[in-house]
Amino acid sequence: MKLIACTEGHSSKIEAFSLEMIAAARSLAQAGDEVVAFFAGRDTEGASASFGAADRLIVARATKSDVIPAETYALLLRDVITAESPGLVLVPYSANGLDVAADIAARTGWPLVSYVNEIKRHGESLTIVAQMYGGKILAECEVQLPAILMINPGAFAEAPPGAITAVSVQTIDADPALTSGKVKMVAIDVPDYADVDLTTAERIVCVGRGIGDEASIDLARNLATMLGAEIAGSRPVVDNGWLPKLRQVGKSGQKVKPKLYLALGVSGAPEHLEGMSQADLIIAVNTDPKAPIFNVAHYGATCDLFDLVANLSDRLRAGSGR
Amino acid sequence: MNILVVLRMIPDSAGELQLAEDGRSIDREWLDFQLNDFDDHALEEAILLKEAGGAKVTAVAVGEGANRVLQMAAARGADEVVALQSEEDAMISSREIAASIAAMARAKSADLVLCGVQSSEDVFGQLAPYVGALLDWPHVSGTNRIVANGAVLRVTQERGAGVAVTYELATPAVLGVQTASKAPRYVSGSKLREASKTPIGRATPESSGFERSAEIITLRLPVQGGSGENLGGNAETVADRLVSILAAKGLARN
Repeated sequence: MKLIACTEGHSSKIEAFSLEMIAAARSLAQAGDEVVAFFAGRDTEGASASFGAADRLIVARATKSDVIPAETYALLLRDVITAESPGLVLVPYSANGLDVAADIAARTGWPLVSYVNEIKRHGESLTIVAQMYGGKILAECEVQLPAILMINPGAFAEAPPGAITAVSVQTIDADPALTSGKVKMVAIDVPDYADVDLTTAERIVCVGRGIGDEASIDLARNLATMLGAEIAGSRPVVDNGWLPKLRQVGKSGQKVKPKLYLALGVSGAPEHLEGMSQADLIIAVNTDPKAPIFNVAHYGATCDLFDLVANLSDRLRAGSGR
Repeated sequence: MNILVVLRMIPDSAGELQLAEDGRSIDREWLDFQLNDFDDHALEEAILLKEAGGAKVTAVAVGEGANRVLQMAAARGADEVVALQSEEDAMISSREIAASIAAMARAKSADLVLCGVQSSEDVFGQLAPYVGALLDWPHVSGTNRIVANGAVLRVTQERGAGVAVTYELATPAVLGVQTASKAPRYVSGSKLREASKTPIGRATPESSGFERSAEIITLRLPVQGGSGENLGGNAETVADRLVSILAAKGLARN
């Protein structure tokens, strides 16, 4: 059986989760199986230099666009599926993968399971553990092959990076599909990280929906200042306009790895955990004892966050002599 | 432009979720159902597009409390509201409802289908790409800005780490909305009362058409708490402990 691991990269950067997809496929491959990595983009050299853990690499090489719209990626992938007849296609849960996985599932008729954390193979079927309801429930699913899985970044350790032999690389021209595609990229906006770069911050105080309103963020901001930390927010806080986008932590925000991550009123949706679960020290404060943030926290407290911020601020202020 | 916007009612997962006796679903008896957050933004984007360039907005709702949310949609500016019949006490699977939404899009000659980028029940895949693929219309998810210029759409998509990509595509199209260009608007009680008279259409579901799907065997609650230490619920005690922990790790201050 062939297992296709979908990989991604743009702006001369291969996404780390690409190696996780290859590792996931590798872990499911049995004797005689073949792990085929699929890459669509401009940085085909980067893909060839990194995806040596796969048996083969199929690259759809684009010369005219740095970003491949998901629809074009899906079209190229469909051609590969038709040619290779795989038993399993693994797609990362990313902005691109979100569109690709269900598109392919609809057009092939194959089953799809999303938000996958664990996979076990039993011959021609799989049992899968997937997340539902923001990570509050785990669903054990069964699926017959062929199938498509959309896998959570971080669910599998990265395959070791390394070059793949040239003879194992097959190159497809992606330009015709990009030219004829219905969705055209017209601009890519990469923010200026000069003002704040959470990815390099050593200490972060992150506020979630539990902070209640914009004015209350000042309390957390003052605490952050005392700790020498950057203030950050989860998606609802940024969506409400209470903090700028560059201060959002999570899947569609920044992926951070500080020495201290103090989460105040953050529930811990999978999209948020993806951005911060690698922090060295995670302290979470949430009145809901079942909040998923506690699954990754090193220390958790269920007190009122405002009471805690007041008490903690008092102690830190006293300690600093101010 | 004819816009069809999909509104899914989902359990309020901010509260406690209990498993049902069959072990394959959650107990819905005492749950609050609310409009999927992302669908709320999709509705707002539809109304913003209507205000910017003129459009007929049809809101279709599915799930527990659909009538209530359709009245809210009418109060916010939807021109027509339709409840898509769904199985009671069952999760709303995008894979299952995609064919119904595609059929409605065709029947209403929709130029644009909008829905939230995802819902917390979408364990078998997301709605926008399913509907886009079934209709063979272009689709983009994760949008946070949509501008229409006649039949041409400019759509901005969040790609993570603050990176945004803008695409151009022609209608008819399907878009999964992450965030509306403006926050969902407030509707006054008087507008809601007025909208309560809006007739609610009914639609019967189409068969999903998929021969094979994955199956949920069992649901379970994740192991809570991980390996972390619980500091308890007393703010004073917690603050004392945290100061000690931070000091011990050299993190108390600069």
